[in-house]
Amino acid sequence: MTSLVAPAAGVHAREARAEILRALRLPQFVVPTIALPAAFYALFALGLGSGNADAATRLLATFGVFAMMGPALFGFGANVAAERESGLVELKRLSPMPASAHIVSKLAATVALGALSLVLVYGLAVLGGVRLEPAQWAMLAGVHLASVVPFGLIGLGFGYRLGQKGAIAMANIVFLGLAVGGGLWMPITMLPEVMQGAAWAMPSFHLGELAPMVAGRSDTAALGLHAAALALLTAAAALFAWTGHARQSA
Amino acid sequence: MTTQDTVAGLEGVGKAYGARQILDGLDFSIAAGSVVALLGPNGAGKSTLAGLVTGRLTPDAGRVTLFGRDPAHPEARARMGVMLQAAGLPDGLSVAETVALQASYYRRGLPVDEILDQAGLTALAPRRCDRLSGGEQRRVHFALAIAGAPDFLVLDEPTTGYDPEARRALWQLVRRKADAGTAVLLATHHLDEADALADRIAVIADGRLIADGPPSAIRARVAGFSLRVRTALSPDALQGLPAVTRVTPRGADTTLMSTDARATLQALFAADPDLRDFDVTGATLEDALADLLGPSTPGTGALS
Repeated sequence: MTSLVAPAAGVHAREARAEILRALRLPQFVVPTIALPAAFYALFALGLGSGNADAATRLLATFGVFAMMGPALFGFGANVAAERESGLVELKRLSPMPASAHIVSKLAATVALGALSLVLVYGLAVLGGVRLEPAQWAMLAGVHLASVVPFGLIGLGFGYRLGQKGAIAMANIVFLGLAVGGGLWMPITMLPEVMQGAAWAMPSFHLGELAPMVAGRSDTAALGLHAAALALLTAAAALFAWTGHARQSA
Repeated sequence: MTTQDTVAGLEGVGKAYGARQILDGLDFSIAAGSVVALLGPNGAGKSTLAGLVTGRLTPDAGRVTLFGRDPAHPEARARMGVMLQAAGLPDGLSVAETVALQASYYRRGLPVDEILDQAGLTALAPRRCDRLSGGEQRRVHFALAIAGAPDFLVLDEPTTGYDPEARRALWQLVRRKADAGTAVLLATHHLDEADALADRIAVIADGRLIADGPPSAIRARVAGFSLRVRTALSPDALQGLPAVTRVTPRGADTTLMSTDARATLQALFAADPDLRDFDVTGATLEDALADLLGPSTPGTGALS
């Protein structure tokens, strides 16, 4: 019997395109997630750093992580919760659409939105006097874009468990917690000692440490340690997301 | 037994939520091209049955097949269209985009223009889904259900909560698909809906099938007349009147089911000369169901 189901690759591509279109058409989602990191970077690195290119470079590494974190936490957390609550996820699940297309489309939209946000931050950084080799920019962008994985998984874990309102509130708390606690706005050495310890449990901290290392802008002695910690935290986030997903089906 | 002509089949299916047994040893099948209404009070197990057929739920016992396969199999799902009781739509996408996306899941999906036409949505094609009225959104749900040119439609409470105009509009759309040979499973607690669409009605209560047949047969299961009277006579006395099969007190009134309205009324006037307030109607499907479900079923009230 010939298949009645459309080829999976095409379905994934069309779902991704639709998800990006949706995200871009919702200004209440686009504007804060894209503009906020750039605005904060302008304030912290350029305004308060008063034209210090070194500070602007250091903060570029962490604000790039910050720029990806918003779309990932809200796109996967709040959006999945909203779609679940509205029954949309259920409807898709009963169609022949491959289940992976749902996640892949969210990933595409998050990366697209996050990339726009990164472009703004990078543009401001160049204006602020940051100078990197093309290879360094590429490595930095690689780490920044990859941060969608742990944050997206954390978002999914909440999106599968909470209702829309709860997920938005939770995304806000986690967003601010990981930003401040992970030292994305200011180094964790400026935080109380207890919080410095807690930072090790946050993927944002390790990503913020790894970004300047791979870009060749800081000492790489602790690279392996941060990479291992990040891998462990990502695995935990994956488990959190997976167990949330498993609760769906009765 | 599963044959070529069986769209969906349940064999000895049991399903429980915690300690609550929803379905128990249920056998049920839907033939190609038939429109089956699944009727019963809220909580009777209608949505559970629909959930099993669509593969949304898995049975604790027994076997469920959809086109001879596991209902969760993509090739089985590709031949089925579903309207859920509560479902949203993707905000940010237009009606045409939403429908086109759904149609793209299927190899033999209908052209978008045709889907929009069949769902009465042509004029709304460019409108964004989050800017539609409730009835319009429901038509989009119907469009999504038919996008893959399904052989089988599962409609779970498709019009519950919608105004009469929107309900009738949707019935017309479903009717047209059914006339074209699409099998339909319609879970509803609205009698008028079942009566308007179904050529077979299955009544489910407490997880068991208590009646299954064409609407006329369900109707014929009860006596021919319904008499509403306001009388001083006791229910026992009323039960003793000729041709009365059933006595149901309803507030100040009493409803009598009778196989012979004339004989019953004559005896009633003789026994209660003061009787002034009464009317007689032919038994409706609702009477039939009230009779089937019995006086002890509190959910019967939902069948109005």
